[in-house]
Amino acid sequence: MPRPNLYYEERTPSPLERVWHEFNRNPLARSALYIIILIMFLCVFGPLLTPYGPNEQILDAISLPPAWSEAGDIRFLLGTDELGRDMVTRIIYGARYTFGYPFLVVIASAAIGISLGAIAAMTVGVKSSTLKHLLDVLMSIPSLLLALIIIAITGPGLSNALLAIGLVLIPQFLHVTRNAIHDERQKPYVTASRLNGVSDLYLLAMVFFPNIVKVLVIQLTIGLSIAILDIAALGFLRLGAQSPTPEWGSMLAQSLEVAYISPWVMALPGIALFLTLVSVNLVGETLRIAIQKQLER
Amino acid sequence: MRIYLLRQLALLIITLFLLTIFAFCLSYWFPGNPITNSSGIFSDDTVRFAEAAAARGYDANIFVQYWHYLGHLFRGDWGISLLDADPVFEQLQLRFGATLEIAVLAMLIALVPGIALGVLAALNFRKPIDHTILSMSLSGYSIPVFWFAQIAILLVAVRWEMLPIAGQINPLFNIEPITGSILLDIFISQPDNMSLALRSAVRHITLPVLVLSVMPMMLLIRLTRSSMLDVLDKNYITSAYAKGLSTRSVIWSHAIPNAMQNVIRELGSLLSLLITNTMIIEVIFSWPGIGSWLIRSIYERDYPVIQGGLLLIAALILCVHVALNLFHAWRYPQVRKDLNASS
Repeated sequence: MPRPNLYYEERTPSPLERVWHEFNRNPLARSALYIIILIMFLCVFGPLLTPYGPNEQILDAISLPPAWSEAGDIRFLLGTDELGRDMVTRIIYGARYTFGYPFLVVIASAAIGISLGAIAAMTVGVKSSTLKHLLDVLMSIPSLLLALIIIAITGPGLSNALLAIGLVLIPQFLHVTRNAIHDERQKPYVTASRLNGVSDLYLLAMVFFPNIVKVLVIQLTIGLSIAILDIAALGFLRLGAQSPTPEWGSMLAQSLEVAYISPWVMALPGIALFLTLVSVNLVGETLRIAIQKQLER
Repeated sequence: MRIYLLRQLALLIITLFLLTIFAFCLSYWFPGNPITNSSGIFSDDTVRFAEAAAARGYDANIFVQYWHYLGHLFRGDWGISLLDADPVFEQLQLRFGATLEIAVLAMLIALVPGIALGVLAALNFRKPIDHTILSMSLSGYSIPVFWFAQIAILLVAVRWEMLPIAGQINPLFNIEPITGSILLDIFISQPDNMSLALRSAVRHITLPVLVLSVMPMMLLIRLTRSSMLDVLDKNYITSAYAKGLSTRSVIWSHAIPNAMQNVIRELGSLLSLLITNTMIIEVIFSWPGIGSWLIRSIYERDYPVIQGGLLLIAALILCVHVALNLFHAWRYPQVRKDLNASS
């Protein structure tokens, strides 16, 4: 028999628990989270699930509509494109290019940007203020334009596009980290640790970092959303992933020619892209609300 | 204010200076010959190539070269396109007008419903109207603009055959391009069948502008809503109600003007997003603007055009940012005080 709790105890749920509560409260946000988990799963295990190869042409099934329409074929659940390639397969493979790679790129540039930002925040003086102005200018130029500049130098291609997006995101993480540390450094708990005589490295890793990690997580979701959209936009402009690659943006670009006779070829990658972006934005939004509530307490 | 103005202008000039250095360096970073890259003259055209090399000081050191580059820049001699030998500067002037036309119109269309819906959502905080508007704006700004444009073309133009999908005007109208902006050009050149020409131009411009205005509108809704919510919590709103003012006059003369402060501050980042979207929209609707030319020149490797186009777009964005900052500081003195105190 469990012992009844005699004392009134105010238990504060841990930050992670509170974030989970926030997701539980809002069914839309929770489904967005599940969609992201599903897409991540598809990124890793997608190729094991698909019956065809991404560029495999099935010549007796060209431009088939989705299976539920009159002319559809159950072998191809969402139909085939004008070259007889299965749409389901291509979209599942596309998750890797449009979600997986940008995800990795965002992680990498976050690692670089956050460490540079921490270094920048720990130094003060002329260097720091010049850096601030430079960053402000860099931040004011849209990310896609910066990526275009880098691609103009390196030439089109998926790896160049990924490199460009990664380089573009670094200043954003740098900026956010630097500002977050700047906001925290006057607070009493930081002064207390300083008086304890801790080293800079300890201060950064054990004092600042746990307190700014929320801001960084939000910036991570924003960066992810930017990266996905920009990779797809570059693919669409034929400056990113090139033609047979099943990247959603470049699939949209290819579908332009056949959009009028087989609209599903255009609709499906767009819907996939849209769902991914909505989910990422919604998860970011929910995280932001949850963190704001914690600050208000 | 004067100090702030000087600081901002000094910053702008320094940034533009850095930008020209960057643009100058681009001709070295691009593959190929830097003289060809910046002037657009191929090295097999020996006589003119030697002339260009001499004019741009390529026999001297790099500082002299940069000085000559600046000279060419201010004289409006930005080289010629590698593809069709069009002078880059004149072309950019024309296309700049076309780009600005749809961007400005889209922004204007986005402003009114964006702010109105944002205010409406804030006034009905956590009610069904608020949730509807919020989810609409969340999905609205998650729609990739290139996909949305295709859907719009497919429905409006192909299925219902209501609007044309490409270009600025029916090519049968012979409108001399002067500013690049088609509506202005019609008014300037005054063709015989002006009303018909105007009709055609408006029909051509409707779809791109509407598609383009969705994203800024959705972002404006969110910005307005959150800043309205902040303002409505303030003491002066409570005191305005306590004075016995009607809800309407509290909202109109106390809440909205103060809520606009945050919105104007964020307007800059919204405009940069608008510019990127304009570039994509121009490609889809074959709009003869800077964006479509720039993107075409990137895969055709037309380096003088890339150099000039990037310089112009980046300079435009920087100038707009500084102008917004100045307007913000001029209109809201409390911001100015904060800025001066912190510096």
